[in-house]
Amino acid sequence: MVTVEEIEHVSKLMKIDVDDHSEYLEKVQTMISYFDILDSAGVESEEISMPEIPIEQLRNDEYIPFEDKLIEKMNHYKGTFVRAPKM
Amino acid sequence: MNLKISALEFIEEAKNGNISVEEFVSATLERINSVDDKLHAFLSVNDNALDQARNIDKKIKSGEKVGDCFGMPISIKDNMCIKDTKTTCASKMLENFVAPYDATVISKLKKQDAIFIGKVNMDEFAMGLTTEFSAFGPSKNPWNIEHVPGGSSGGSAVSVSSYECIASLGSDTGGSVRNPASFCSTVGYKPTYGLISRYGLISYANSIEQIGPLTRTVKDTAFMLNLIAGVDPNDNTTVNNNNEDYLENIDSGIEGKKIGIITEMIGDGIDPDVMTATKEAISKLEGLGAICEEVSLEMVKYSVAAYYTITATEAGSNLARYDNLRYGYEMPVEGYEFNSYISKARKNFGPEVTRRMIIGGFVPSAGHAGKYFLKAMKVKSKLTKEINDAFKKFDLLIAPTVPILPFKIGEKIDDPVSLFLVDINTVTANLTGKPAISIPFKIVNGLPIGIQLMANSMNDKMLLQAAHALEKTVTLPEIPI
Repeated sequence: MVTVEEIEHVSKLMKIDVDDHSEYLEKVQTMISYFDILDSAGVESEEISMPEIPIEQLRNDEYIPFEDKLIEKMNHYKGTFVRAPKM
Repeated sequence: MNLKISALEFIEEAKNGNISVEEFVSATLERINSVDDKLHAFLSVNDNALDQARNIDKKIKSGEKVGDCFGMPISIKDNMCIKDTKTTCASKMLENFVAPYDATVISKLKKQDAIFIGKVNMDEFAMGLTTEFSAFGPSKNPWNIEHVPGGSSGGSAVSVSSYECIASLGSDTGGSVRNPASFCSTVGYKPTYGLISRYGLISYANSIEQIGPLTRTVKDTAFMLNLIAGVDPNDNTTVNNNNEDYLENIDSGIEGKKIGIITEMIGDGIDPDVMTATKEAISKLEGLGAICEEVSLEMVKYSVAAYYTITATEAGSNLARYDNLRYGYEMPVEGYEFNSYISKARKNFGPEVTRRMIIGGFVPSAGHAGKYFLKAMKVKSKLTKEINDAFKKFDLLIAPTVPILPFKIGEKIDDPVSLFLVDINTVTANLTGKPAISIPFKIVNGLPIGIQLMANSMNDKMLLQAAHALEKTVTLPEIPI
């Protein structure tokens, strides 16, 4: 059973402010509790299969110029830099 | 002007000069104007549609080469980029985002002279199955406006079924094309994973989502697939379909085909009317010469939990880009510390997106990944083995698209697990990469029921042939709006 404290901790790591903790967290807790059904799937010995794409099928790693100045579409920029709050 | 014609009928009429594209598009815009206040399928309408229609008429009259769509009005789910057009993903976060480029599906359809009549509603970032989680308000089911139209491509299904366009493009991560297609009585198609480029589709869960058409007929879906399928250098997950013609031999029928009835998809929780409709569909397929037998896919029971675990994890990663620096609100950066700035901006995500981000941070985290994410990936692998084994014996698999009828708006919104289980019959095709289609089959008490057929990977053509055969056995009443 996942605890409210754990979910609050993850919310902070995901940089999400939640005003109404009780309502949000109750639903998130319900959703994660439902995932406990995975414990009874009996898949412990199962291998995880991943799709593989041979490197020769990937496109060339080359610069493709873009016609618009994308930086001008951003909310905050100065010259060629994105403006961000201080860290 | 008859707006109820299929895409192929429209093209034939426009090509022969029997329909003026301008008049058809004008009538379509009038239709949107008259019904969309009630239905809320559209988030934006193309102001240039009539000019584009006039240009296509000119090309037709002058004998100039015209693209295969001949000005057919198509709606586009608002998570696909059309250059210089707002692409909101039904989120306040992207309310003012103007796409700087065309998605591959859009550039392909532009070359074929399609007219994008508007961008349509969806659950925010495609996270939902009712369209109730749109930041701009829910769409309504045109068969009964008190009921949900399904989702997340709800606006796509509503716009096609209520004659606000001829066809639409949606995206299907766990049933988001097939579910609303079933609830609104349109054809909805989720192709083999990789058949259609996702370049320019705003990402939710990259490893399983696909763009798919919603149309009035199976033939129209085959036509759309001919236009948009194929390898794209901008999406390395695309597969080579050798320029397959999906319309060719679509009348082949299903005589002798073996069809597996997935027992886990017709079990507990299925609505009796949906069960009856499924039995009728099986009977019709048998009447057409198919051989139907039950087949068990044990992992289906765990598929919804696996699906939500995997998609939330991928969503948590994909949504990390929304930091309000590249996309977002007009919010000055001065006076904020970096993390608190992002946290404050993200307060503007809707409740479902916030929940999924939290889950997406939790299930793959150190200490929890083994219990949730890795197990979900193992279920996905085992389910894929099970379905591949099933396809050694069967050509096709059948189940109702959704085990219940369209429910009332607000009925399930506070019960996340109950909402999860609406996806039980659709997520398998996504987790395993198989093609699947929802075919309108029956109307019960004024509400639609769709039947789902699935095929093995890259057997999209045979799947469309079978769907067309089933479709031809069905006559449905007129939509009441």
